[in-house]
Amino acid sequence: MTKETFLHDKHVQLNAKMVDFAGWHMPVQYTSIIEEHKTVRENVGLFDVSHMGEVFVSGKDALDFLNKIVPQDISKLNYEKAVYCQLPNKNGGLIDDLIIYKLGILEYLVICNASRIDEDLNWMVRNSRGYDVKIDNRSHEFSLLAVQGPKADSLMRKMGLDTHQESFTIKPAKIAGIKVLASRTGYTGEDGYEIMVENLHSEFLWDEILKQGEEFGIKPIGLGARDTLRLEAALHLYGNDLDENTTPIEAGLSWSVPKDKVEDYNGKEVIMGQIANGTSKKLIGLKMLDKSIARHEYEVYFNGEKVGHITSGAPSPMLGANIALAYVKNDKEICTGATVQVMIREKLHDAEVVKRPFIEKRNKVTI
Amino acid sequence: MSITEKILCSKSHEFLLDNGDGTHTIGLTDYAVEQLGDIVFLELPEVGSEFKKGETFATVESVKAASEIYMPVSGKIVEINETAVDAPETLNENAFEWLVKIELTGAAEEQNDLLEYEDYKEELE
Repeated sequence: MTKETFLHDKHVQLNAKMVDFAGWHMPVQYTSIIEEHKTVRENVGLFDVSHMGEVFVSGKDALDFLNKIVPQDISKLNYEKAVYCQLPNKNGGLIDDLIIYKLGILEYLVICNASRIDEDLNWMVRNSRGYDVKIDNRSHEFSLLAVQGPKADSLMRKMGLDTHQESFTIKPAKIAGIKVLASRTGYTGEDGYEIMVENLHSEFLWDEILKQGEEFGIKPIGLGARDTLRLEAALHLYGNDLDENTTPIEAGLSWSVPKDKVEDYNGKEVIMGQIANGTSKKLIGLKMLDKSIARHEYEVYFNGEKVGHITSGAPSPMLGANIALAYVKNDKEICTGATVQVMIREKLHDAEVVKRPFIEKRNKVTI
Repeated sequence: MSITEKILCSKSHEFLLDNGDGTHTIGLTDYAVEQLGDIVFLELPEVGSEFKKGETFATVESVKAASEIYMPVSGKIVEINETAVDAPETLNENAFEWLVKIELTGAAEEQNDLLEYEDYKEELE
């Protein structure tokens, strides 16, 4: 059975094109992916991301438990702060990528990908043996609304939020009189908020944000633009760019993995070994040099040899070029500025290796 | 007579129009274009190439994905819409934009499973 978020009727009323995504009936676009994409880059967009999972981890051993299952050092995570994490298996391959928030001294919130919530829960429960910890999947209780774009801040301030909030922090707050958890995070490369609200109030809040956002040029944004926005910002999509055979180091996520974490964690040996000795594959950004579009699983060639494959690819509405992420063998010559080829419908097309992210991110907010 | 009264449509959402001069025009139905969303890439075959009914002769890409376009009948390509190749958004802007013109190379019976536009629309519902 396909699941529906509490905002499903709103999407249908707005004439969204609906698709199945990770078992959910979700809006892929309301009007046009390109138009919605530009709205988020230039003004502000509203997303329903209620399909994502919210798992509360609490109890005496909550910190030790989380430190065992992620490479990040959760003991350094302060109250009301968030950290981008991965959930590696014993070989360092990724079961999921997560955001972990510290809500209280012994209470954490773990945001999971909709497509991975069952695997994540299984893995967490299996790993919780011997720990005094409560793993509470409360995904069905909350809706998650993302307000993203350069005007997100002004809109939220207008709606009563104290926007003196740094990026990667979460605070209990009120928006339009509704109690929410407001997190200054997102998946677009823009500044913005992700707002957790009880299902009961989600429709009211959705309508109210669209109404109050009119003067800022707000539009509802579907999963199609969500994908092109995150790709321009070179943010990984689980299932495309991350999987159980890929470590955070191979995925170019070394920046997020502490080198000095004392505690043992799943996959630590492999991950630390790769930090010390390097990896056999690496993630690169590509810009197509003609009008062709590289898509998931297309093969990548270098000097006539097959060296890897595309994981995500799409047009970049901001660059006016087609971009992609690819895993290739870790060859020094496949570096920024080098030309590789992508096999598209039995023909090779040139692509330039470019820096990630493809656009300048504007999501870093300090106060 | 409007174009919808003259075209035949395939179940894979191509239309065929008899130009009355020995050639036929092939394009995508309005339904197909709406389903695709923003069209950002179009690849058409070379003039002179020949395809059988049901074969892939062109590729269209939306932001999300690549889709193949199939021959509604067998034919030889005599002209392609270069404007649409250069500006694929033309397909979103103009309903029933043409893709290629062909000379038929198959039997007339090949058109038996094609539907008139009204019937095609009904099948979609």
